[in-house]
Amino acid sequence: MAIHTTRKKGLSPDQVKIMPYRLEITLKPELLDAEGEGLRKKASAYFGIHLDQVRTIHILTIDAALTPEQLQKIQSEAFTNPVTQVSSYDPLPLTFDWTIWVGFRPGVRDNPGATAIEAIEDVLGLKFGAGEAVYTSKRYCVTGDALRAQDMDQIAGELLANDIIQQWRIYSRSEWNDHDGIGFILPKVKLDHQPTVTTIPVDSDETLAAISDERNLALNPNDIPTIRTYFSDASVRSVRQQVGLSDPTDVELEYISQARSDHCNHNTFRGLFHYQDLATGETADEDSLFKTYIEAPTLFLKEKKDWVVSVLWDNAGVGRFDDDHYYVITGETHNSPSNMEAYGGAITGIVGVYRDPLGTGKGSRLIMGSYGYCVGHRDYDGPLRPRLHPRRLLDGVIEGVRDGGNKSGIPTPFGQVTFHPGYMGKCLVFVTALGLMPTRVGGAPAEEKKTTAGELLVMCGGRVGKDGIHGVTASSEVFSAHTPAGHVQIGDPYTQKKMHDFLLTARDEDMIRFITDNGGGGLSSSVGESARFSGGCEVMLDKVPLKYEGLDQWEIWVSESQERMTVAIHPRDLDRFMALSRLHAVESTVIGRYTDTGKLHITYNNTPCAYVDLDFLESGFPKWEFEAEWQPPEMRGLTEPVLTPPTDYGTLMLDLLGRPNVCAKEWIVRQYDHEVQGGSVIKPLVGVDRDLPSDAAVVRPVLASSKGLAFSQALLPAYSAIDAYHMTACTIDEAVRRLLSVGGDLDHIGGVDNFCWPSIQFHPEKNPDGKFKAAQLVRSCRALKDICLAYEIPLLSGKDSMYVDGHLTGRYGEAHKISALETLQFSATSVIQNIDDCITMDAKAPGDLIYVLGVTRNELGASEYYEHFGYVGTRVPKVHPEESRRLYKAFADALQLGLVASAHGIYRGGLGIHLAMVAMGGNMGMEIDLSTVPADEAVPGHVCLFSETPGRLIVTIAPENRTAFETVVTGNAFGQIGTVTQSGGDIIIRGAAGKEPLVSLSIATLKSAWKAPLGDLI
Amino acid sequence: MKDVKVLVLTGYGLNCDLETAYAFENAGATAYRVHINRLVANEISLDDFQIIAFVGGFSWGDDHGAGVVHAVRFRTHVGEALLRFIDRGNLVIGICNGFQTLVNLGLLPGIGGDYTTRSVALTYNDCGNFRDDWVTLRLNKTSPCVFTRGMDIAEMPIRHGEGKFYAAEQTLQALVQNHQIVAQYADREGNPAEGRFPLNPNGSILDIAGICDETGRVFGLMPHPEAYNHYSNHPDWIREKDLRKRTGENMDHGPTPGIRMFQNAVSYMHTK
Repeated sequence: MAIHTTRKKGLSPDQVKIMPYRLEITLKPELLDAEGEGLRKKASAYFGIHLDQVRTIHILTIDAALTPEQLQKIQSEAFTNPVTQVSSYDPLPLTFDWTIWVGFRPGVRDNPGATAIEAIEDVLGLKFGAGEAVYTSKRYCVTGDALRAQDMDQIAGELLANDIIQQWRIYSRSEWNDHDGIGFILPKVKLDHQPTVTTIPVDSDETLAAISDERNLALNPNDIPTIRTYFSDASVRSVRQQVGLSDPTDVELEYISQARSDHCNHNTFRGLFHYQDLATGETADEDSLFKTYIEAPTLFLKEKKDWVVSVLWDNAGVGRFDDDHYYVITGETHNSPSNMEAYGGAITGIVGVYRDPLGTGKGSRLIMGSYGYCVGHRDYDGPLRPRLHPRRLLDGVIEGVRDGGNKSGIPTPFGQVTFHPGYMGKCLVFVTALGLMPTRVGGAPAEEKKTTAGELLVMCGGRVGKDGIHGVTASSEVFSAHTPAGHVQIGDPYTQKKMHDFLLTARDEDMIRFITDNGGGGLSSSVGESARFSGGCEVMLDKVPLKYEGLDQWEIWVSESQERMTVAIHPRDLDRFMALSRLHAVESTVIGRYTDTGKLHITYNNTPCAYVDLDFLESGFPKWEFEAEWQPPEMRGLTEPVLTPPTDYGTLMLDLLGRPNVCAKEWIVRQYDHEVQGGSVIKPLVGVDRDLPSDAAVVRPVLASSKGLAFSQALLPAYSAIDAYHMTACTIDEAVRRLLSVGGDLDHIGGVDNFCWPSIQFHPEKNPDGKFKAAQLVRSCRALKDICLAYEIPLLSGKDSMYVDGHLTGRYGEAHKISALETLQFSATSVIQNIDDCITMDAKAPGDLIYVLGVTRNELGASEYYEHFGYVGTRVPKVHPEESRRLYKAFADALQLGLVASAHGIYRGGLGIHLAMVAMGGNMGMEIDLSTVPADEAVPGHVCLFSETPGRLIVTIAPENRTAFETVVTGNAFGQIGTVTQSGGDIIIRGAAGKEPLVSLSIATLKSAWKAPLGDLI
Repeated sequence: MKDVKVLVLTGYGLNCDLETAYAFENAGATAYRVHINRLVANEISLDDFQIIAFVGGFSWGDDHGAGVVHAVRFRTHVGEALLRFIDRGNLVIGICNGFQTLVNLGLLPGIGGDYTTRSVALTYNDCGNFRDDWVTLRLNKTSPCVFTRGMDIAEMPIRHGEGKFYAAEQTLQALVQNHQIVAQYADREGNPAEGRFPLNPNGSILDIAGICDETGRVFGLMPHPEAYNHYSNHPDWIREKDLRKRTGENMDHGPTPGIRMFQNAVSYMHTK
């Protein structure tokens, strides 16, 4: 490829100096400014601020040595569309009453700034030198009557910018200087710091503890004696002396701290729980929830299921798709960063989880992503002051995952949103990624990889800055206009997509010996883990490419700068690997080599920084311990509400359909590209009007094959208010029913568990209910094992995020601790042998028979219905796994025989809500007789309609299939509860045949109630 | 019959390359996925191909206007070779980001054979957001477009944030006169959308979804024909399957409208 080395033809460098230039670009006035219009609408809807007009100006601040001719050339050839835009190096003379300028803080990833440099270099045939840069920012020209500075500040601070990553300025018309405009604001990082390795004394546990606090190392107090013993050991010291080290360095302690963190080491799930049931007196010591409830059942099932390929060790789990392909899946959360900066946190989360399949086996191509958001209510107007209002937070995470997924070219065909006040303290952002790999690479199994002494250690992708480094620097450095705002990042899908394409080509050419991603812990984690295979490594930190100078060695080592992979290659492949990297415009750097010395050996310009035994981390650290005390709901004072059946079922149905967790959310779904890669089989929205959420997504990841990959997820945190055991059981059951409803295979269900739990470490003042939350976790894990064994679901992957709490300031300046409900997101996959068997949830034809499969029980506890009235109750829905599995088998058989026209699970909201979904999907009426619904006791109408008993499905079939269908499902609970009526008809529900209808509503009325809350959003 | 070779561009954030290559192969061509930099470095020559596909995606992250930086790089390094390629009677298709690139190159609309002047634009959707939805297209039978021969109506997905077609009145008149407006957004029966959202998903002037040059050999459109490569891509296929089963009919597994566009291109190059 062409590398341009010519610089400023005809000019010597001293003739042109680096100078800032500011190019302002805007749409021609006759064109609608959709961004400005969006801002105008939000200002009105969110704050009641009425703006007449908003016009957006895009600003490029080019800090470079360019001639006037060069500036003119890039202006016209690259940055101004002659059809739609006007631009100027002077401030554009747009009219306004106020102008708001928003730009990045120093060190924040400026993606368009980086691509602007690529464009300039291409147009001018030169390369930017050191000190040259492009910064992007925006200026909003606002007109309106009687607008005040504080209105502008609210719009800037609460709609346009987040002060963690952005800065803004507000100008009234009278303050504005037509000539200078915003001036030149250069968010350049200047550190003026000499990289230094600091040695840390280990003379006593107290000293080490004090230093841990001071440097924000977050060393667990129980770990400190182990660390001190190691570094005080005479033989260790003597070996260290030979390489020039004595007491531990900051690089070493940071490495240990990262590796021992809950995030990397899962201390909670590997800890010791002293469990006690206060009602029964049962006690149990639970040693490693992971081993007992996740690893053991998964290994057991792996033996039974030959489709399970690789689990429990790599970045993601691997299952067989067909003879030539494996699929790969994992799920992550990115809660804390998203809570601080919603867009940046969410885009970093989705782009980050996409690196897990890329780093699984010898590398997988990404084929699908999904999202799960748990946030406070959009219309919250109470006294608590979260950092970001839930509405803004949700907007931000939606957009972050949108840009991260769409710009990666990966479809997002499934997702969920759950609103609950408990997520005001900290939101949850679940991101899940699926990939596909060939079964073999270079004749060897693609799922296997290892490092070997002598192989080169290569870092590919982005550069390293002060990104994601724990708070040390933020607190110890004096804040200036040039301090990098590194603790919150913005993912860069463009850089990563280039790297993804490059690494998969390198894989296909059999150059990848080992690959893993740089996420939490950065190089410290990826190098540390990959070196365990070969048994050692040598790393030269001075080789690591940096975004800017001045990082300490330990910062380079633990920085979480994104879009990087660590790869092992054989020296003979080096030239080919680097040539391919250049072709793909990806930066790759050899930063060390793998050894078999048993040591992690790190240097910087040949000076030693670290020399630690790799197996040190595997030995001698004490387990974390937790007290867990279970109190059943009755002991906690929960009772069943005293409630008679309603008389106005119609209004009740409409109100329930409009509840936040039930109502239509099409506006989110349509922002996500759900059909890129060309394999869409069942889309996230189905039905005649393509507006009902599908039970699950199905894709055809191998375009020439008729096999499908089905995917679903479930979230039911509300049940944790009663018992996290049943929350967990119901969540898994829902995910399974979702898969089966589209045609999933009961014999092939892979699971992914993502736990998000409030803090479980008891503290009498700070966490007085910690023991209860710990017991909820134990119970949840027990249910995980029980249901996964009953349904034969190996856990292909899983993660935990343990501190979902926040402290919010209230009306009087008092701070409240807000803890989330104990939450599990469960994801499930299945392989569909022939997509021709797939079905959707919408009613298909008038005259079809409507069946309910499965028993309805009096289980309104923590239901949507109770929540509507502010109740919790005690009768939590319970899974009957043997009964359900038998039923699911019969249903799957009926589906395979082609007897089913539509199928839909009964989920949150119960039968009433989900009958409405099936009817709305087909845009057809229904006649329903509740007395024919199979139930274990005579239940009143409201229980029948709104109980959330799991294990149930609504199925419609063509009338001629009645006998065949009933023959297949016989022996299970089923009832024909009614028929589908004409297109555009009414849904009529009676308590018994011949009785007056409880509900009689037109489909149009139902749909309008269901779409009323959020249907206008685009 | 000679082999029709298609060059499908990849790299710099482009996506849709795999399914576009698949769709062309399905239509009888041999497709090669080629990184932009292999053309830039002259490792691969356009002379060896009869069709070039500028595919969908987010080249350079869509920063500075979708397709803008892609066009800059292409014009700078491959521009003349591309003009020669067209001059030799070959075919060019630009889909979504590729269409945006073609208009930024000036290859479209190519009025009067001028393949370098930017005179139309694809700008931000009026709805203010990226949108994924299926649209119905009215295809212009009087257009010289090679890709849509024999087709009058087609459904396909759109997936873009910058798909609003815009041009000055004079240019629009020329496009109408020259029958260069190939595809327009319509309702499900094929009646013009007349700007109604979401039938016209982005606010395009004259409901324009795709245009060609005067020869009909350079074609750009916002919807994705390659994403309708199989009957199961269509949002209604399961309903269709169910209803046909009841009447004893089989599903129509003939080529989808998306594949037909690629077949038209391949058979044009065969007969040429």
